[in-house]
Amino acid sequence: MSDISRREFLKGLAVGGTVGYFAMAGVSSTVMRNSFIPPAKVGAVDIGECKSLKIKVITETSWFNNALLMDDMKKAGGLLVNQYEIPWTNKGVTEGWKGDNAGGYATLVEVEFLDGSTKKILLDTGWNVDWTDTCFKREGIDKMLANGEIDCLFVSHEHFDHFWGIEATLKYRPDIPILVPKGFYQEGFDLLKGANFPKCHLANNVPHTGPLKVQESEKVHKLYPGVASITFDVPIITRVFGEQALVFNLKDKGLAIVTGCCHMGIISLMEHVKQTIKGGDNFYAIQGGLHISPFEDWDPQYDDLVLALHNYGLKTMGCNHCTGYVTAEKFVTIGLPVVKGTAQHKSKRDIFLGNGDMMII
Amino acid sequence: MNQNNSLWVETRDLQPRLKQPLQGIINLLLVTAFFLLVWWIFMDPRGIIRWYTPQYGYMYIRWILIAAIWQVYIFNYWPFKDSFLNNKHPLIKGLILIGSNIVIVAFMVWVFCYAFLGNLSIPYLNPKVLTGLGMTEFFAREYSSLAILMMAAIASWLSPVWPVCFDNHPWQNLTQPARGFTVWVWTFFLTLIAFLILMHPHYHVLFYPWQEYAAAYPWWYGFARTLSGNFNVGWVMCGTVSIWFLELVFDRYPIRLIKKQPLRGIIGFLFVFTMAWLIFFAFLFLQDVSWGPAVEGAKRLYAPDWRHLHCGELACMMLIPMMTLHFYFDNWPKKYSPSINIAIRCAIIFIATGILHYLYYKYSPPILGTQPGYSHPQQFPMAPVILWINMMLYHYWFMDMYPGKRLATRKERLPVSNLIAEEA
Ligand SMILES: [Fe+2]
Ligand SMILES: [Fe+2]
Repeated sequence: MSDISRREFLKGLAVGGTVGYFAMAGVSSTVMRNSFIPPAKVGAVDIGECKSLKIKVITETSWFNNALLMDDMKKAGGLLVNQYEIPWTNKGVTEGWKGDNAGGYATLVEVEFLDGSTKKILLDTGWNVDWTDTCFKREGIDKMLANGEIDCLFVSHEHFDHFWGIEATLKYRPDIPILVPKGFYQEGFDLLKGANFPKCHLANNVPHTGPLKVQESEKVHKLYPGVASITFDVPIITRVFGEQALVFNLKDKGLAIVTGCCHMGIISLMEHVKQTIKGGDNFYAIQGGLHISPFEDWDPQYDDLVLALHNYGLKTMGCNHCTGYVTAEKFVTIGLPVVKGTAQHKSKRDIFLGNGDMMII
Repeated sequence: MNQNNSLWVETRDLQPRLKQPLQGIINLLLVTAFFLLVWWIFMDPRGIIRWYTPQYGYMYIRWILIAAIWQVYIFNYWPFKDSFLNNKHPLIKGLILIGSNIVIVAFMVWVFCYAFLGNLSIPYLNPKVLTGLGMTEFFAREYSSLAILMMAAIASWLSPVWPVCFDNHPWQNLTQPARGFTVWVWTFFLTLIAFLILMHPHYHVLFYPWQEYAAAYPWWYGFARTLSGNFNVGWVMCGTVSIWFLELVFDRYPIRLIKKQPLRGIIGFLFVFTMAWLIFFAFLFLQDVSWGPAVEGAKRLYAPDWRHLHCGELACMMLIPMMTLHFYFDNWPKKYSPSINIAIRCAIIFIATGILHYLYYKYSPPILGTQPGYSHPQQFPMAPVILWINMMLYHYWFMDMYPGKRLATRKERLPVSNLIAEEA
C-alpha cells in the first residue's frame, strides 16, 4: 500500500515538477523575454522648438485646511466617491478664503518663440470663484483675458481644484477656446454650459460660448512650435478620469514639462515623453503639481519616485500644489534642484513656488 | 486520516435538490446577487455605507475570510455541535454562523488590533492613536486598515497550511476546542512573525520622518525595486491562492499520497510556496509582455509595486472560477485519473479567469461603482473578488448550499458514515 502510494506520489511529483520547471525556465529565460516583451520605443514626433518660458503661479493653494478637506472625503465615503456628490465645507473655515475651504490651482504659461513672438496659455482655473478672481486681479489675468491676450484655457483634468472655478475665467472671456482631456464626465460639460450643482456648492453662471476641444489620449497634440500636449487615460480619485500635460522643447536647453496635478506620475509622464517625442531623453525642467503627497499623506511608493527622480537629469524643478510639503522636503534633502518660493498670498511655506511666484526657464 | 481529525464539512453529505447544471447555475446566481447586494450596502462608493474608502472596507472583507477559515478549518465549527450542524435549517444555521463570523471579525479588529496592540504596542494598528499624533482622521484610518488587513492576508496563507498539509500534526488527536486553540495559537504566532518581517518594514518608510529605530528598512528594495510592502502582498496572495489550488483543484494530490507526518506537511508547504512563486513570476511576466517592463519610481501601470500587487490581484481572480467549479459544479471532472482531472480543471480555471478578467474590467464601473482602468492607486480589485469569495464560503460552509442542495437525512447518511469509518 505504502509502496504504491510512494510510486504514485513520485509520479505526481515528476509530472508537476516537470511542468513547473518548464514554466519557470520559460518565464525567466532571456530568449522568452526578448521575443515577447516589446522593446522600448524611441521618440519620433518632432514638435519643433521654442525659446523660453515664463510660468506665473496664480494660485497653488487648492484648499486651506487639509484636515477639513480629508474629513469631507471621509464623511462622503472615501477617495472613490464622485466629487460632484461631496458637500465640501464652504463656511466657517478660519484659515479659508472668507470662511470657504476652497482655493484652487491656476497657472499662466507664457511661451516665447524663436522669432520673439509670444503666446499665453492659462493652465487651469481654480476652484473657489471668488478666490480665483482675486488672484486673477492680483496678477492682471482679468485684463489679459478681457483683451484676448490669453490664447486658450488648458484644463489639465476635471478635479474640483483645477476646473470648478471656470466662472472666474468665463466672466472675463466667455468665448475663450478651451482644451479638456478625454475622460471628462457629463457633469463637467454641463458645468461649462452653465449648470448648477447645489450638493457640492458648485455653479457657473457664465456659459461657455467659444470652441471646446477634447484632447484624445495616446497621441501627441502639437499646439504651437515647440509646444505639445499629451493626454493620459488615468482613473483618478473622486471619480475623475484623464489628465493632460504640456511639453515644451526649449532650444539649446531641452524639454520642459508643465503639469496641473500629474496624477499619471511624473516619471511615468517622462517615460512616455521619452518614447513619443523626438529628443525626449533630454529633460531640462518640470513645473507644476506632481501629485505625490497632496494631503500630506505618504506611501513607500512615493519614496520610490523620490529616489528615482535623480536618473532624469533635471536642471530645475518648480513643483508645488499637490506635490506636498513632505515630498518637497525629501526632494531638497536628497539634493534635487527645487526652486524656492516667497510664501506670499496664503501660500504657507517658501519651500517651493507659491502664489504670485514666477519661474523663468 | 482518523475520523476524529476529519472536518465536519468534509464528512457531510450534500444531496442535490435539482439536477446539474441547473442547480449550480441557480445557486451561483443567488450567491452572486447576494454579493452584489452586500457590496452595494457596505462598499460601493455610490451605495449606502461606503466603506470602500478603499482600505477601511477592504480590511473587514479580509478579516471575514480568515475568520471563516478559522471557524471551519481550525475549530471545525466549535462551539457548535454536530447535532446543531446536522439538524438546523440552513437559513437559521447560516444566520448564526455568519453572526459568529462577524463577532470574530469585530473582536479581532476592534479589540485585538485597535484596543490591545494599537494602544499598547504598535500605534499604526489604531487610527485614534495616529490621529492623536497629528495625522488626519482619514489617513490614520487608511494606514491602520492596511496594516490590519495584511495581518489577515498573511493568516489566510499560513493558517490553512496546518489542517491542509500537516493534518493538524502533532495535535491531530486532541479534541475540540483544545486542538482548535492549539493550532490557532501556533498558526497565528507564525502569522505575527511573518507580519513583522513582511509588512512592518513598510511602516519604516510610510511615516515622515522614516521610523528607522522602530522597523527594519524594507529588505526587499534591492530586488523588488520598490520600498512598498505591495511586493510581499503580491506573493503572499499567490500563496493563499496556491493553498486553495491544492485543496480544491488538486484534492491535495499528490501530497495526500505521503502518509508520514510531518514529512507530508513539510513537502506540502514547500509545494504551496513553490507554486506561489511560480504564479507570481508567471503573472509578472504576463504584465511585462502586455505593457513592457516596469520603471522604478513610475506610477500606475509602470509602478513596480503595483505590478507586484497586481500579480496577487490576478491570482485572486482565479479563486472565483476555482470555487465556482468546486462548490457549484461538484468539482467536475472526477472520472479520470487524478492528473487528468487536475489538468482539465486547471484549463477550465485559466480560461474562465481570462473571461472574468475581461468582464471585470469592462463592467465593474457601472456594477460596483469602481473607476475604469487597470491601475488605480486607490482601488483594489481584490476587495470585491474576496467579498464574492466570502459569500461563496458562507454559502458552502455555513448554509449547506441552500437552496440548490440539502444535507442528507439521517437515513441517507448512515451508509456514508459507515464508509468513512471503513476508510479510516
Ligand atoms: Fe490638484
Ligand atoms: Fe487633481
